[in-house]
Amino acid sequence: MTAIEIRDLAKSFGSVKAVDGVSFTVEAGSVTGYLGPNGAGKTTTLRSLLGLVTPDSGEALVDGRRYVTLPQPVSEVGAVLEATSFHPGRTALDHLRILCVAAGLPDQRAGESLEMVGLADVAGKRVGGFSLGMRQRLALSSALLGRPKIFILDEPANGLDPAGIEWLRGFLRHLAHDQGAAVLVSSHVLAEVEQTVDNVVIIAKGRLVRQGTLKELITNGDTAIRVRASNAADLAPALEAAGAAVERVEDGLLRVRGIDAEAVGQIALDRRVVLTEVTQERSDLQKVFLELTGER
Amino acid sequence: MIGLVKAELRKLFTTRLWWIMLIVMVVLVGVNLAFIIAFAGVSQNGGPALPERDTMEWAQVAWSVGSSGGIFVMILGVVMITSEYRYQTVTGTFLTTPRRERVIAAKLITGLLIGLLFALVILVFEAATVVPTVLLSGGEFSLAETRIPQVSVGILASLALYGLFGIGLGALVRNQIAGIVGAVVWAYVIESIFTAIPALHSVGKWLPGGAAQSLMSIDIDTGLGRPEWLPAWGGALVLVAYGLLFAVVASATTVRRDIT
Ligand SMILES: Nc1ncnc2c1ncn2[C@@H]1O[C@H](COP(=O)(O)OP(=O)(O)O)[C@@H](O)[C@H]1O
Ligand SMILES: [Mg+2]
Repeated sequence: MTAIEIRDLAKSFGSVKAVDGVSFTVEAGSVTGYLGPNGAGKTTTLRSLLGLVTPDSGEALVDGRRYVTLPQPVSEVGAVLEATSFHPGRTALDHLRILCVAAGLPDQRAGESLEMVGLADVAGKRVGGFSLGMRQRLALSSALLGRPKIFILDEPANGLDPAGIEWLRGFLRHLAHDQGAAVLVSSHVLAEVEQTVDNVVIIAKGRLVRQGTLKELITNGDTAIRVRASNAADLAPALEAAGAAVERVEDGLLRVRGIDAEAVGQIALDRRVVLTEVTQERSDLQKVFLELTGER
Repeated sequence: MIGLVKAELRKLFTTRLWWIMLIVMVVLVGVNLAFIIAFAGVSQNGGPALPERDTMEWAQVAWSVGSSGGIFVMILGVVMITSEYRYQTVTGTFLTTPRRERVIAAKLITGLLIGLLFALVILVFEAATVVPTVLLSGGEFSLAETRIPQVSVGILASLALYGLFGIGLGALVRNQIAGIVGAVVWAYVIESIFTAIPALHSVGKWLPGGAAQSLMSIDIDTGLGRPEWLPAWGGALVLVAYGLLFAVVASATTVRRDIT
């Protein structure tokens, strides 16, 4: 069954259309990045999915049901929303123990979950003294309490240092690929999640702009080929004649768009030009992302 | 529901506020008692005097001081719900229990329990001070001729219901400062006006403070005439009604709002 399904979801705050007809699905065993610039409507979507925000229209379902109708929500869905939702005077362990008893889970889950995110040492410390990164880990550990199979995380990398981000990537991949969980993770920085996600859903100004696998996203679009040749001046007109757009970068170096590498090689062979380099330029993800979201 | 009430108790007992409130409450009751001990039998400008310290009438007056703890339980009730919004822990609470009215119900029950706990502390404190005072003053302590048992039940009931009231109020206002200020202004300003001015008694007895007084079923002559309280059961009903009314109105309005 589809783990997460969003169908024609719409929600306005006053005159602001925060989410405007968004649809996508997340399957078990995969990580989906929900990407968009600040204010795109990511948080509103995720909170609608979790029953915290009531959508104006459309549906947001987990395991085919509305979150508020789940008999044991914590055991089906683990959610990480913002890192500030803690009482500063309460210890990390107490925070989790409160959630355990409210969810009908055994108390030892609290300690176990702290261990899973590497916070066992500070279990008895007040959250008020925690760094943002520690709070993110604590939020993640609260999502693990019920050992769910669906994870919904809103900007979990915020406030993490590079080592923390690396750890988070590994952790999310482990949840999805080893444990078969469905993971939906939002971010406004594509680079943060590009090494983690299998699928991407891109949203801007409340509307879906692109959805597909990460591979599709990075190979799609207008990628260029760098061509270095002994006799570039000769090669360029021939490429242009074949329909390519050629940019003369410097003496002996061309950037070619509109035809693929094989065609470049064939033309060079016909012209008896020696190629010294043919490189497919990898598209700059962040650039693609900014293009798609119209933020450039 | 038991799990949810346990969770609410844990929320309260894992932060510091509850024992700060408890200490402040005991100190306040203690200060009031000190005055009643000091001025026992002293007549002021020919006005009505407090009974002598060695009498059971005095003990009864001293005992009724415990009802002043209500405001602390009310504030605690307000904070129990408003701090969830203030620290955004409400997100985790509603994620764990998405049926929000169940959370409100658990908080109402917890408010009652906390009121009972605070009332018990007051009663123990009063027993530990009033009884020795009577005995040391040469009197004999015997409950038989007094209404101390009723007053005790009244203190238990009124503090428990103030807890309920505070939860309902907090759910309605959501803002912590507004809730606390509202509770204090209500208890010390508005209620006092309605109970001090005889012409307003007919309204005042229907207010939470007046209803709580009726639970004590003790007449204290303010010099402006004896207030006419509701019967004790009527007072209890009025307090329950306020708490539930607030909670129901809140559940239908503020509690349903989007958490963003
Ligand atoms: N409670 C709210 N009241 C008014 N506007 C809101 C509220 N929550 C979000 N918005 C608006 O909705 C839009 C989407 O916000 P959000 O979902 O938080 O975006 P994101 O998480 O992608 O940054 C923004 O324009 C934001 O200002
Ligand atoms: Mg957001």
